[in-house]
Amino acid sequence: MAAFVLPAVLVVAALLVGPMLLLARISLNRYSATDLMVEALSPQNYLAAVADPYYRGVMGTTLAVALLCTGLTLALGFPAAYRLARMESRWKSLVTVMTLIPLLVGNVVRAAGWMGLIGNDGLINAGLQATGLVSGPVRLIYTPGAVVVGTMAVVLPYMILTLASVIESIPRSLEEAAANLGAPALTVFRRVVWPLALPGTVAGCVLVFILCMNTYATAVLLGGPQFKMMAPAVYDQFSKGMNWPFGAALAFILLGATLALTVLGTALLGRRYAR
Amino acid sequence: MTLSRRTIVAGGAALALSGRGLPARAEGASVVVGTWGGDYGALLQQNIDQPLLKPQGIEVSQDVANNDPRRTKLIAERASRRGSMDVACINDIDSYILGQLGVLEPVQESAVPRLSEVLPIFRKPGTIPHIYSAMVVLYNPAKVTTPPTRYADLFDSKYKGRVGYSDILYSYNLAGANLAAGGPMGDFAKGKTALLDLKQRDVKVYPSNEALAAALKSEEVWLTTMWLARGFMWKSAGIPVEAAIPEEGAIPILFEAGIPKNSRAKDAAFKYLSAMLDPAAQVAFAAKMGYLPTVRDARLPPDLARQISLTEAQAARLNPLDYAYMQAQQGANLDFWNKEFKA
Repeated sequence: MAAFVLPAVLVVAALLVGPMLLLARISLNRYSATDLMVEALSPQNYLAAVADPYYRGVMGTTLAVALLCTGLTLALGFPAAYRLARMESRWKSLVTVMTLIPLLVGNVVRAAGWMGLIGNDGLINAGLQATGLVSGPVRLIYTPGAVVVGTMAVVLPYMILTLASVIESIPRSLEEAAANLGAPALTVFRRVVWPLALPGTVAGCVLVFILCMNTYATAVLLGGPQFKMMAPAVYDQFSKGMNWPFGAALAFILLGATLALTVLGTALLGRRYAR
Repeated sequence: MTLSRRTIVAGGAALALSGRGLPARAEGASVVVGTWGGDYGALLQQNIDQPLLKPQGIEVSQDVANNDPRRTKLIAERASRRGSMDVACINDIDSYILGQLGVLEPVQESAVPRLSEVLPIFRKPGTIPHIYSAMVVLYNPAKVTTPPTRYADLFDSKYKGRVGYSDILYSYNLAGANLAAGGPMGDFAKGKTALLDLKQRDVKVYPSNEALAAALKSEEVWLTTMWLARGFMWKSAGIPVEAAIPEEGAIPILFEAGIPKNSRAKDAAFKYLSAMLDPAAQVAFAAKMGYLPTVRDARLPPDLARQISLTEAQAARLNPLDYAYMQAQQGANLDFWNKEFKA
């Protein structure tokens, strides 16, 4: 059995664990404007990031966007997933593929499409101005709302497909039994479908939350230069500021926060499910 | 014919020994050029790659990226035996930084004969100067009825909410604001204070030059600091802008090209650098993008020269960046721009 797993373990170790260990080591180095990086073993970069109100704000924005997108995606995705899971039509395969279609387009291309739609001279503003509803362009792009909508469009298929696969595994007879016993539709959902779908819901939420925490292209292209999330902040330090140690520390702070919240959320919901 | 495992292994070994198993790059026969895309990349292909390098048997492929990722890649690869680029197109600040870090191969006239025609003020040890321009004030003549004459005019309170900056040019914008505030090139403190005042007057920051161009076109903003060359391009594209050469002395911008020390095809790369200094190719860049040639023997049509050149007096007042200061303050300037000005 170990022989089957070994190749995957080696690939992960070489391509993920190795670079991350290297990055962890870099995060303990010291930045120098002339030499870029001076070898050190100091927690200074982590302390500076945590102490800086700017980066605390960036982390707050990142968390707010990720939690909001996860919640909204769940609210929008659950009904769609339920409908997809219970579909018995011959079109089910087609609908499943259609749910996947957004994933065929890269995030950058998709964000560019949004820019064409919600930009100051985009389709929506052109329409509003043509109808005389507004005299000048309405600010839609470069707003937090644009980032939330754009991010949701990226992650919604993940949520729907994860939920649909779990809902499909819940026997329909359980819902019918509850309905036969007089439970209204909402009660059937609350007492039967939701508890049984909870493991899949947690999995979907975790997947979507992680993706949202690491949003880069959508945040940069739709949020504009004054809207900062953690992934663009990490990139800025590496690419613009050439401060690799600080960028590496920010990356691990993002990783740590994502991991902590994921574990916490899974544990809390898992305990609720166990009851 | 059936292939046994033994046959495949033996065949593979034979191919490896013959050195022809993989499409390895023939030394000197191909170069990878790290460059901007868009017009710049296309002009390289049309005026350098095809007409000048191909007849020499040199194939060119482009590694397209913006300036910052390219610089980061060059720094990341500097300890590698083999780099991914043979020629790197970079701006003047990065040219200095990469030179200080020992990333670039020295460029000498023996390897790049066309260096003999380069204007002496642009000669540098590790790069060739490709094209240049100057940072000017671009303004909408229909809205700004008194043409600006100085960088400082952007800070006039009557233009509240109508000044826009391109985010990616933060270092240069900061330098321009500093000159406007009367600060020296080696200390941007005054410029930072001026920008924080401007922030109170609803200054706009756009994520790219293109986004700024769209804002100028829609008249959301009326004034900015930008390359004279960009002003020429935008005006040609129908964007309502005129250029004012600032009396404080414009900041020059030089786009350069160098060869990473770990290039795998240095001979071909040197030929590429020499071709970048070809007068006809430089004139083509001027005609399309508005950037000025860096070689003495490039002759611009008079009408084009009038639109994209500085007068002798304006050229004499140019305020080059203090590159050592820019390198030392790279992190601090970025922090100011992100954390204080934009936030």
